[in-house]
Amino acid sequence: MNWNAFLFGASAALALVGALFAVGLKNIFHNILGFALSLVGVAGLFLTLGSDFLAIVLLLVYVGALGIAMVYAVMLSQPLDTPRTPRSLPKVVGSALLAAVVAMALWLVIRRAHFPPSGGSLEVTPQMTGYRLLSDYVLAFELISILLVIAMMGAVMVARKDRSRSGRAASAAPKASP
Amino acid sequence: MTGATVAALLAQGSPLLACAVVLIALRGRPRAAAALGIAGMGVSFAASAYLVAAVAVPGHSFLAQTVFLPVDAAHSLAFGVLLDPLSTTMALVVSGITLAVMAYSTGYMAGDPGYARYFGFLALFAWAMQGLVLSANLLQTLAFWELVGLASFLLIGFWFERPAPAAAARKAFIMTRVGDVGFLLGVLLLLRALGLATIPDVIAAAAPGGALTPRTVSVAAALLLMGVIGKSAQGPLFTWLPDAMEGPTPVSALLHSATMVAAGVYLVARLHPLFMAAPAVMHALLWLALVTALATATMAMVATDIKRVLAYSTISQLGYMLMGLAAGSAAAGFFHLVTHAGFKALLFLSAGIFIHHAHSNEMQEISERAPWSQRAGVIGLVAGSAALAGVIPFAGYFSKEAILGSLGTGASPLVVALAYLGAGLTAYYAFRMVFVTLGGTGARAHGGTDAPTHGGTGERGHGATAGERAMQVTVLLLAVLTLVLGYLGPWLGARLAPGEAAHGPFDVGVGALAALALVAAGIALAWVEFGRRGARRVGFVERMPALARFFGDNWYLDRLYRATVIRWAVALARAAHWNDRTIVDGATDGLADGTIGGGRLLALVQSGYVQVYLTVALGLIAALAYVLGRAGGVP
Amino acid sequence: MTWLHWYLLVALLLFCVGLYGLVQRRSLIAMLIALELMLAAVSLNIVAITSLSGSSSSVGQVVALILIGVAAAEGAIALSLFVAIQREVQSINVENLSELKG
Repeated sequence: MNWNAFLFGASAALALVGALFAVGLKNIFHNILGFALSLVGVAGLFLTLGSDFLAIVLLLVYVGALGIAMVYAVMLSQPLDTPRTPRSLPKVVGSALLAAVVAMALWLVIRRAHFPPSGGSLEVTPQMTGYRLLSDYVLAFELISILLVIAMMGAVMVARKDRSRSGRAASAAPKASP
Repeated sequence: MTGATVAALLAQGSPLLACAVVLIALRGRPRAAAALGIAGMGVSFAASAYLVAAVAVPGHSFLAQTVFLPVDAAHSLAFGVLLDPLSTTMALVVSGITLAVMAYSTGYMAGDPGYARYFGFLALFAWAMQGLVLSANLLQTLAFWELVGLASFLLIGFWFERPAPAAAARKAFIMTRVGDVGFLLGVLLLLRALGLATIPDVIAAAAPGGALTPRTVSVAAALLLMGVIGKSAQGPLFTWLPDAMEGPTPVSALLHSATMVAAGVYLVARLHPLFMAAPAVMHALLWLALVTALATATMAMVATDIKRVLAYSTISQLGYMLMGLAAGSAAAGFFHLVTHAGFKALLFLSAGIFIHHAHSNEMQEISERAPWSQRAGVIGLVAGSAALAGVIPFAGYFSKEAILGSLGTGASPLVVALAYLGAGLTAYYAFRMVFVTLGGTGARAHGGTDAPTHGGTGERGHGATAGERAMQVTVLLLAVLTLVLGYLGPWLGARLAPGEAAHGPFDVGVGALAALALVAAGIALAWVEFGRRGARRVGFVERMPALARFFGDNWYLDRLYRATVIRWAVALARAAHWNDRTIVDGATDGLADGTIGGGRLLALVQSGYVQVYLTVALGLIAALAYVLGRAGGVP
Repeated sequence: MTWLHWYLLVALLLFCVGLYGLVQRRSLIAMLIALELMLAAVSLNIVAITSLSGSSSSVGQVVALILIGVAAAEGAIALSLFVAIQREVQSINVENLSELKG
């Protein structure tokens, strides 16, 4: 049995099925779970490509961090007993049409593209990646760090309650725009 | 510019100036308007008299023309004057009659609120008619022809606040317009064939050796005749003239008897050689004029309104003039035009005196309100009727003799017989009118008391004694003229038809005697039926009610028109209106609605929803990518 | 259809399913989920290409790592924005957020 192909097929199937759950199901938690499932599939695909480090990072960040954050956001935002309005058929049809058109266009581009044959081997280790990050792509590495810090601060500031509106005395912390 | 040219321009220009000043500045000053109008006509009359003296030499012709709008070598617009015995005599007739009518109108129209406007329009008419008479090329004639029609419209509908005059003015204008279509086409045909050509050039080209083929000449003659038929109220287009009597009586005297309707006859006389070169057309004209003359004579025999009798009589006499011209004698036809202008104007103005006094047009009512108290009117009526009937030595006898004589030489015996019959009928209805108007109970009462009832179709404007004097003097002057004009025959003949043998005024041959006998018979019949004491005052036609109704209603021609032409025209107008509302407006509105709808459709893109924006953007880009991918890249 | 094309096909399908969800779903969080799917598809694309063609595959790894980092940051901001929106208009239905209409 061709394990490569089997693994590829299973991971692909998982990814796609999870994606369909993520967008198709009605319950938002089901969507988040489908999202997680799909990412497991994508991680499997990364494994077949030899990027095991990347697969683990994907799972950690997307599923572990982002997925849980989404669950929190769901808890904080919508009351869970609101009545569900039914989907509108024109919207479904329109979206499906758009997705189909984009797919066709992109597939056409892919078919016509010329990919030079593979030169290197499939073997890539985290060492090599780390080395790259700190030598050739150090600027990107630093910038992404800064970006993450800013994102953290920004998220806190955006989600914070507006003090002046609640009427409490001004705190020692400097006034920040909501 | 020579003296003759100056005089010719003065003859046209002074009425124009008077018209302009009166209509622009003198609306509120009636006496000044009348004075200016009469002064203008006086100048025109003097200029015309000078022209007659200077130019009306046998065989003499003078032409002066300048191009005022050059188009190309062959086609330009030119304005000029053509002076020869025919045009100068006509100018004199026109200006003279207009002057008399203006003087008369100071009395007749006194007190009318539109007094100044009236004189302005009369001056307008005089300008247009003089311009027509003296014009040098056919386009100029056409322009003045239409202007004369305009003046007629304005004057018939002078009392436009009332529905009848307004309708009559419209009818006159539209009916003459129908004829004018043919006239325009004829002028255009000649223009195309000859370019800018003066009238003498056209006549020369129509001669057997000239530039026009016989076919072209015939077609042009037939087309020009359509205009003549419309303007001179012959044939199928005559019904506007009886209705035109809704205008003031002096207007009827001037336009619709003496001058304007004679413009058609004048045109035929002016272009007589061209018409004679189309013998088939002339033959048709002869028969048409004859039938018209006889038919309208029958209508005059049953009319009860004095002005209508005179209107039918005008049409009938115009028919006689055209018969004379069609039979080949320009001199005879024109001679009758001149004498007719004199005695028909006299008849209308005399009738006006009676109408003014009795406040009614109906002969019966006039006869009941002391007509004999209006002595000038009586004299005028009798003299005019004698001239109309053709009693020697009044003017009408001589001119009618000339016409009957020319028919004798140029037409078939049947035509001649019918023409003589018409002469007898003319005498009958003319004296019927006299006897009915002047006879009857209470007619001989003296004293100018107004009728106790204000009624009928009497016209407005009752003047002071000075005005009445003006009316009486004018009428008496014209009455004298009718005795004198008859002797003009040989003079005119020498100038208009130098080659023809002229018979003197007292040549009495078989034809003349036969005519006189018929005239006497007609007068006698009228006397028996209407004039003698104890007469029943019912005509022999009126004893047959069906026939009387037929004669009295324009031989049912108006009914025919209402049932056919008018109905079709109205249907066409309705269809055009529907087309305008539904199709044209509908298309424009539809375009506007479509634009608005399209705009609304496109506005859906700006919905404010992110998802819509995303869909539109990505969709378009994908489609573009697909197309480019298929085409193999960006071209 | 080489292996590369298969991977690219899967990435394409994931991307388009995510696009469908982005355009069709009403809830902002559902839209975010779909968006993250699309980003995952993109990183799969990059890794596949650099692994199965071209010379060196470590470049693809770096790019994919950065991409994951960016996706996480953007997701965090987005979620905090949703919380703020919920406070303002009491709803996270994207159809209520159309003030730019017209």
